[in-house]
This record gives sequence, C-alpha cells and structure tokens, in this order.
Amino acid sequence: MNDYSVIGRSIPRPDAWEKVVGGRGYPVNLRLPGMLHGTLLRSPHPHARIAGMDASRALALPGVKALITPADVPRIPYSATFFKPATSAAVVRDMLILDGTVRYAGQPVAAVAATTASIAEHALELIEVQYEELPAVFDPEEAMREGAPEIHAGVRHNVIGRPTYSLGDIEAGFSAADHVFEGVYETQRVHTCYMEPRVCVADADAQGRVTVYASVQHLFGLREKLAFVLGLPVSSVRAVQPPYIGGGFGGKLDLAPIEPLAALLSLRARRPVRIEQSRYEDFITSSRHPAKVYLKTGISRDGQFTARYARTLLDASAYASEAPEVIRVHSRFGLMLGYRCPNAKWEGTLVYTNNMPGGAFRGYGAPQGCFAVESQIDEICEKLGFDPVEFRLKHAPRCGDPHPSNAAWKLDSYGFDECLVRGAERFGWRSRAKAASGRGVKKRGFGMAAQPLWVSGCLGAPDTYEHSGAIVKLNTDGSADLATATIDIGSGQTAVLCQIAAEELGISVEAVRLSGGSTDTLPVDAATHASRTTYASGIAVKAAAAAAKKRLLEVAETMLEASAVDLEVREGMVRVKGASAHAVPVADVVKRAESPFVQITSKGTMQTVLAEKGTIIGTSSLAPPRNPSPASAQFIEVEVDTDTGEVRVLRAVYAHDIGRVVNLAGAEGQVEGGLQQGIGYALMENMRFEPETGACVTADFLNYKMPTAVEMPRSIESIFVETDEPSGPFGAKGLAEPCLIVPAPAIANAIYNAVGVRVRSLPITPEKILAGLGKI
Amino acid sequence: MSLRQLKEFCIPGDWAEVDAQLGRYGARAFVLAGGSFVHGLDARGLLHEVEALIDIRNLGLDYIRAESGGLRIGATTTFAHLQAAPTLGESPWLGALADALACPPRQIRNVATVGGSVAASCPYFDPPTALMALDARVAVVAGGARREFPLGELFAGTFENSLRRGEIIVELFLPRPTGRSASAFLKLEGNANDLAIVNCAASLEIDAQGRCSEARIALGGGVGDAIARATSAERLLQGRVADDEVLWSAAEAVGEDIDPHTDHRASAAYRLAVAKVLTRRALTCALARSARTPT
Ligand SMILES: Cc1cc2nc3c(=O)[nH]c(=O)nc-3n(C[C@H](O)[C@H](O)[C@H](O)COP(=O)(O)OP(=O)(O)OC[C@H]3O[C@@H](n4cnc5c(N)ncnc54)[C@H](O)[C@@H]3O)c2cc1C
Repeated sequence: MNDYSVIGRSIPRPDAWEKVVGGRGYPVNLRLPGMLHGTLLRSPHPHARIAGMDASRALALPGVKALITPADVPRIPYSATFFKPATSAAVVRDMLILDGTVRYAGQPVAAVAATTASIAEHALELIEVQYEELPAVFDPEEAMREGAPEIHAGVRHNVIGRPTYSLGDIEAGFSAADHVFEGVYETQRVHTCYMEPRVCVADADAQGRVTVYASVQHLFGLREKLAFVLGLPVSSVRAVQPPYIGGGFGGKLDLAPIEPLAALLSLRARRPVRIEQSRYEDFITSSRHPAKVYLKTGISRDGQFTARYARTLLDASAYASEAPEVIRVHSRFGLMLGYRCPNAKWEGTLVYTNNMPGGAFRGYGAPQGCFAVESQIDEICEKLGFDPVEFRLKHAPRCGDPHPSNAAWKLDSYGFDECLVRGAERFGWRSRAKAASGRGVKKRGFGMAAQPLWVSGCLGAPDTYEHSGAIVKLNTDGSADLATATIDIGSGQTAVLCQIAAEELGISVEAVRLSGGSTDTLPVDAATHASRTTYASGIAVKAAAAAAKKRLLEVAETMLEASAVDLEVREGMVRVKGASAHAVPVADVVKRAESPFVQITSKGTMQTVLAEKGTIIGTSSLAPPRNPSPASAQFIEVEVDTDTGEVRVLRAVYAHDIGRVVNLAGAEGQVEGGLQQGIGYALMENMRFEPETGACVTADFLNYKMPTAVEMPRSIESIFVETDEPSGPFGAKGLAEPCLIVPAPAIANAIYNAVGVRVRSLPITPEKILAGLGKI
Repeated sequence: MSLRQLKEFCIPGDWAEVDAQLGRYGARAFVLAGGSFVHGLDARGLLHEVEALIDIRNLGLDYIRAESGGLRIGATTTFAHLQAAPTLGESPWLGALADALACPPRQIRNVATVGGSVAASCPYFDPPTALMALDARVAVVAGGARREFPLGELFAGTFENSLRRGEIIVELFLPRPTGRSASAFLKLEGNANDLAIVNCAASLEIDAQGRCSEARIALGGGVGDAIARATSAERLLQGRVADDEVLWSAAEAVGEDIDPHTDHRASAAYRLAVAKVLTRRALTCALARSARTPT
C-alpha cells in the first residue's frame, strides 16, 4: 500500500452503469433533429479504374438529399493517420476522400444521404458504375516482382520504403558467434473488433462550419485531418468530445472515409448527416499489418548475444497510412531494442498490395516482432540448455541504464527483472518440467515470453503529437469538473484521470467528474494511444489540479488566517498543516470565491475582497518530460489435444512494471483484455480473403473467430511491480499495449513445450499442430 | 436490404388461417419458427422476395411426448424446452440429442426450434446430426394432408430442403431402440460461438452378448452438402464386439462416407482427420454410456 488516499484503489468506472443500460453517451446513440442517413457504395473489385458513373437515377429517388461521387471531392491527397501533422514529410499522402482508382475490394466509390437509411441503401443500387478492372496483387512478395501491377502511379515495384536500423558491426558480431539461429516468423492480418461501430454525425451550418461527432480516438486529430481533407481552416471544424466511445484498440486512430463523406454530404444537404458502418465495413476499415520477419541471432558459448540481424516485409496494404510508423516501432520496440546486443542490423520493406487498409492496433508493430524474438529465444534456450528466465535476465536492461531508444534519458524506474523473477515464482516455473509430462492424448505445456521495453506515450517518436492539457474547475458544492480532450476508449481513462485529479486536490474521487467539451473549448491533446493516457494525460491533469489547488489555498488564506504555503487539502477540507482542527471545507472556500462582494447573512453582512474573487480553476497544456518504459513478462500453461490439435490456455501469470498502479481493478481489466486479444492473435483470429476478388470472407463474428469467455483461462493472475516513476503522475507509467504484445509467443512456446511442435506462423491453428505432429 | 418486400407478418392460430396465408402468398411466404436463422438467410440474400412471414408458434406444436414406441417432439419445441424434458436426461439412447442441444449459446437455445433446426438444412448445425444418428422421422402437413419420411430425405442440399410448396414440419419422431442402447454427440468448433467445423453423433445398440446389433453414425460440418451417415463405418460395427480395434477401424472407415471440403475455417485433410477422431470418441462415449444402461 502507499500513502495516497485515492491512487492505487480499485475505483468503479463512473460510466459503467450508464453503459450497461445502453450507453447513451456512445456516439452511435446520437441523433440530431432533421438528421439524414448516409451510406457508401463500395467497389466489388480489388483494383479498377472508374471509367464512368451515372448517379442520376439515385438522385431522382424521393428522399435522397445529397450524393457524392469522386468528381465531387476536393483533390487533396492525405494520410489518414490522426496523430501526425497532415503535412508531415513522414507521412505518405496517397489517399483521396473518393478516388477514381479503386485499390482494394470494398473501397468506397460514392456516398448518398437520404431521409431514411433504407432509402439511402436503395439509392446505392441505382448508381451505375463502369469499372475498368485492373490486375490485382495480394501477396507482398509478388507485388515486388518485375511486371507486378502498379498500385500507385510511379511507385516502383510497389515499394514505399526500405527503412533500416543499425548498431555496432554486424559482420564482426556474427564472426564472434559460436552458434547462429535463424528463422522466419509470420503474422497474420487481424482486426481490433471494437464493439461500437465507427459512426459519425456531421452537421454543417449555414456559414459552412462543420460540427462532427464521431467514434474516434483522437479529437484534435479528427479536427485537423477533416479540415485538411476538406480544404477548410481548422477553426471551421468543431469536433465534439463524446463522454466515451465503445472501444478503439487503434482501430479508430485514423480518418475513415465516413467522416469526410458525412461532412461533404452535410455541406450539400445543409442538414446533419449520420453514417454508421456495418460490421462488414468495420472489418475492412482497419487491421494489424501482416508481417514476415526473418530473424538471425549469433550467440557466444557463454550465452551472450553477439549479433542480431532482422529483415521485415510488411504488407502496407492499398494505402500507406500508418505503415511507415508501424514498421519503425516494430523495428525498435518489437525487434531490436529490448535486449542488450552490441551488434544489430535491421532492414525493412514496406510494400503496397491490393489488400484492405492496415492501421494501428494495440501494440503497433511490436506483436509482429515480439513473436519472432521471443519464439527464437525459446529455441535458443532449448538448444543450448539455458533457462528462459535466466537467459532473459542476462540480456535485459537494468534500472538506471541509458534508455535504449534515447540516450538522453535513463531508465529511471524499471522493474523488468522483478517481473521475470516474481512471475516465475508465482507460476512455479522451476517445477514446470515435472508437470509437463502427461500420458493420454492431452499434453500440458508451459511457456513464457516477455516485452522488456515499451513506451508511455510518443515523446521521442519523430513527427508525432505528444502533449496534453486539462482544465480543473471547482464547484461551490466542493466537487470538481475535469475537462480534457482525452477520449475514453473504454479502457477506463475517465476513472484514472478523476483519481489523479482527486488525489492532487485532496478531495474524494466521487467528487471529480469528467465534463465534456469540444475542440473549441479544450486544450489540444494527443490521441488515446501508445499506452500514454495514464502517464501523459495524467501529468497534465495533475498539473491543472495543482493549479486549481494553488488558487484554492490562496483564497483560503484569509479564512484560515494562514499563509497558503502552510495550508493543505485533505479529505475535502482545507486545513493548516499539522493542525487538523483548524480547517474549512473546500466547498466553503469555493463559495467565498464565487460569492458577491457583500453578503447578507443572518449574522449580518460579510465581505470578500477583490483578490479572493473568481472561479477557482486551473489549467495546463504541456508535453510530458519523458517516455518511461513499462515492462512485462508472461507465463502460460496450455493443454494440447494431440488428436485434434486444439489448444486450451489453462493458466496465465502476467507480471507488469507499470510504475505506480492508479486503479487496480482497471489495470487488471487491461491485462485480462489484452490477454484475450493475445490468445486470439495466437490461436484463432485471422482475416481471410477470396483469393480471386480479394473480398473479405471473415467480416462477421461467425467467420472471424476471437476467444469468448469459454476460451479464456480459468486462472489469470496479475502481478504489478510497482516501481515509482519519478516523472509520472504519482509514479505511474503506461500499461495498455504490452498486455497484448506478449501472449502469442508465450503460447507458442508453451505449445512447443507440450508437444514439441514449433509453429512459426500465426495463428497456431489446430491444423498446424496436427501437421507438425505428422498427423495430416 | 432485408425483407424489403415484406407486406405481412401473421401469427395464425389455426390451420385454416395457415392455409389461407400460404395460398395467398405461395412461394413468397416464409415460415417462421424461432426466427434465429432469419438473419443468416438474409445475409446470404435468400429473403429478397419474401412478402409474408407466417409465425407457426401458435399452432400447438410445442410438445414432447414420450411413448412406448419412441419420442414425439413437436416442431416448434425450443431447444431449451427439450433440454429440460426429464426423459432427455434419463435416457442414454437420447444422449446424442442432449449433447447437441447444449452446443448453441443459451440465447439461441431459448428461441431456436427443433423444426427450424432441421428445416434450415444447414449441415453445420448440431441437433440435426444427432437426430440423424437417432433415426429420426419427420412428419409434415400441407392442406390437412400429413406424410412422414426419414429425416435424411429432408436434406436436399445446403440450405435446401425437400419440402413441397406449402408443407410445414409438424413433428419429429425418434423410434425407441429395443435393446441396451446409448448415443453420444461431439462437436469441433473454433470458439464457443461457432458452427461445427466437424460434428459427429454415434448411436449403438448392444445385444446380450455385448455385440453391436445396430450402429448409426452421422457426421456434419464441412463434410458434405448434407449431413452424412457413415454407413461403411456402421457396417464394420454391425454384429461385432466393439473393442478398441473395432472402434479404430470403424473410425478409419468414415473416410469412405464423407466428402470433406476446404474453406477458410479448415482444410479437407484436417476435417477428415478430426472426423475420424470425433467418430472414435463419440463411439467410445456411447459405448461407455451403454455400459451404464440397465438392460
Ligand atoms: C449466434 C448463433 C449461434 C448459433 N449456434 C449454433 C450452434 O452452436 N449449433 C447449432 O446447431 N445451431 C446454432 N445456431 C443456429 C440455430 O440452431 C438455428 O438458427 C435454429 O435451429 C433455427 O431454428 P429456428 O426455430 O430459429 O428457425 P427459423 O429461423 O425460424 O427458421 C429457419 C428456417 O427453417 C424454416 N422453418 C422453420 N420451421 C419450420 C417448419 N416447422 N416447417 C418448415 N419450415 C420451417 C424457416 O422457413 C427457415 O427457412 C446458431 C445461431 C445463431 C444466430
């Protein structure tokens, strides 16, 4: 336990009840008077030129109020990524709101708004499109061959870029190696499967200013990108913050076609336009990029890394979007920086294909790398007889070391070794060998994996927004309103930020409420992504609360006849430090600040002075000073049916260093949710496409399999290694992403331990296991 | 767009009204029972022409009657209702049906009907596979005339049944085996909310000498256009004591009886391999249940 009154406690989410009864705050539940319903016409072809389009019959349909074709959109090329400047040289601007060329099956080609959704859908059927089909290519290796279809004009061999990374002397490193390990590790395309569909309502007023309500992870990113693609000044777009959205996981980190299309339809019709994606549309809007990683590692006799070389082929999909950043994060945090090695080299290739868009997804390139690195470490330990925990400890960075991604910082708080040690102990790692035996057809196996290095935000990432702001306003009933442009994407940001404000203000967490706002009223903020909110938004919230508290104490000076520096706030009372009897309620201080100069009371008149007047409010707008690393280690027990190849995850022990835990129940929820997605990534989730047409055949939950409650292990134990991050709010760091990065290799390693089958491509289906056992 | 042509939704309380509506809408009438497969058919574009939904749940077809000759199940009996019937828990010969009914999620079990489950002719459903191994017979009615036939004749292909225009399934009949008998059903699925990749039901009757006097094995999932009876495997069991060796060879033989296909969920080779495993396991389970059955 700690000395804090609110930090570290399990706080029920303030929005939980409302969500359970339908969640009227979800953008999908928003309705405006006079609102029209928009739908998109999508191409059945994966690669085609639109030779002609006749929409006259659709426009003539009664109830149709506006229609947009490729001829009607501003020809402003853009990148959909929310969290990078629209004009950054680091993004590839290869998209148009509607393009005359279709590059993946399902790409929108027209949009209609009508008085009802069914009229709009009917109108789509009346639009005649002449497609000139072009040859399509879905495999990134084929896309790079001579003579492959050119997907974007002038991009030779469809290669968008070949980023590299290097450290030391790779040749010398391999010469010094006594053993060399090599392997190719492949990961599949998966979808985030947020619950609330992508939806937006755009409302253009008579002056052409667009107000937009959307289920996205970045309020200011939405405003900036929308204004950019529409060719409007940013102040002509107002993005309104929803109280929460129904999940994101990265799937709502970039502009989807629905947002600019709803805006254009609204500008035409001069009425609000709502577009809600179907589940099929959600599935083809964003995904984790498939990757093929070749990894080669040199090891000395005494088990030291001497050299590590990797090559990554990333299917960037039809549009580059997040891919250049995904592959950068992948190379550093997924592959190269986690363990110490003097000589390292990486070469990446980003390739266009006619596949559906990739995007951001919790872990952002790291799962594709972690699967390779952590699987191969297991292979090394197996072959050379090292204990996987000891081996990782030997190569792990230590607390106080320079930060591997930025030498200007140190790993000020860092408990990776403790994650490994405590996790192993709780799991019973040492006694695993005995238990691993099993007679019948079902075999038990034990495995582990880790993620030594991760982020608490984007500080240090090139051309990526990283700043937050907050407004804390005290009320005359002693409560506080907290406003920030941070979006609660379902992971409990609201609860955590309220806790941080409450702790700093010295009031109860129930007395803090997250209030809304819009890009007109809120300080700029980065996206809810990159495991950043608790840390980076938390710092801003703490600073705003501290500013409000400073003002509160100043006002209390006359009331308590003491100087502000001698005052403190505890349990809702402002009091003289060390003299708890000498106190006034926060509410009374706020009342005094907001009261008229002369107050008439039953006891006669009372007076305040000019210096005490005004709302007690604190604001902040700042960038976090650091980017501290969380760390994690996971231990998994599986049972493999050697006749059917089915795998059950029986038990997980998951240790994380996240600095100070702010909301214990929330943190455990993150870990369990990440494990669920990680099990899906490891064992079943896989987006599949018709080989000829590129049409997605897994765009619903019958065909796209993710773990249900039944597939979850009966035992999930979370260990939090509470290091105290000096730069964090009350010592906190990030958590969200490692939870999902680590499970796949941990499960792969456990399966190997159970049945001796090493599967180097995800998902590890029952079929691959039976093939590995030689049974099919 | 779903049901765009829909003009009428009716819940007839007697057969005269059913016949009148069926007469009026002919091929554009859609018989509705639990309604749990409507969105599935719609998603496949099979409901564009439908003008009338005729809900048959008010016709007194929700019943379970245990008779000496066997079990009669009304067509609109829900899975949940059937699961709760005491006879299901008490009768090892119905074990496969009890196993299969437990597969769909609870919400579905509360609405899905036995009649709808077979009428849908979806080879990926579970209860139909169990019913095939239990030698079920179907009773259908049209315009007051009733006919009965073996369940296998209902399945004309995937999503295609052999009912004639205006025919409604009213009942399923499961003949009670004479000797010591038990059955079992198993399903292989991708997660707990999945249709079968492969499923298998086995029903055995054991004579006084411990030999299989009757064996019925049915397989569903992606093993053919319709649920398949594994007659080659059944023949190998007929008249033999079902020891390990016999069970293994019977399970191997299902390869002769099914035609698995490859899709994004599994390859034909995998389906074949697990069809054999499931057959062996279902037979083993049925055998174990029969051993606990009083003769
Ligand atoms: C989420 C989900 C999960 C599922 N999981 C499973 C599972 O694990 N295992 C499984 O077996 N099934 C599963 N199902 C399918 C379910 O079993 C079927 O939808 C159900 O059996 C259909 O019965 P119903 O009464 O709802 O039929 P309806 O949807 O009402 O009708 C289905 C079809 O049968 C016709 N029909 C219905 N009754 C009659 C009748 N008496 N005479 C003639 N025609 C008739 C209808 O016209 C229609 O064509 C699942 C379905 C869903 C939605």
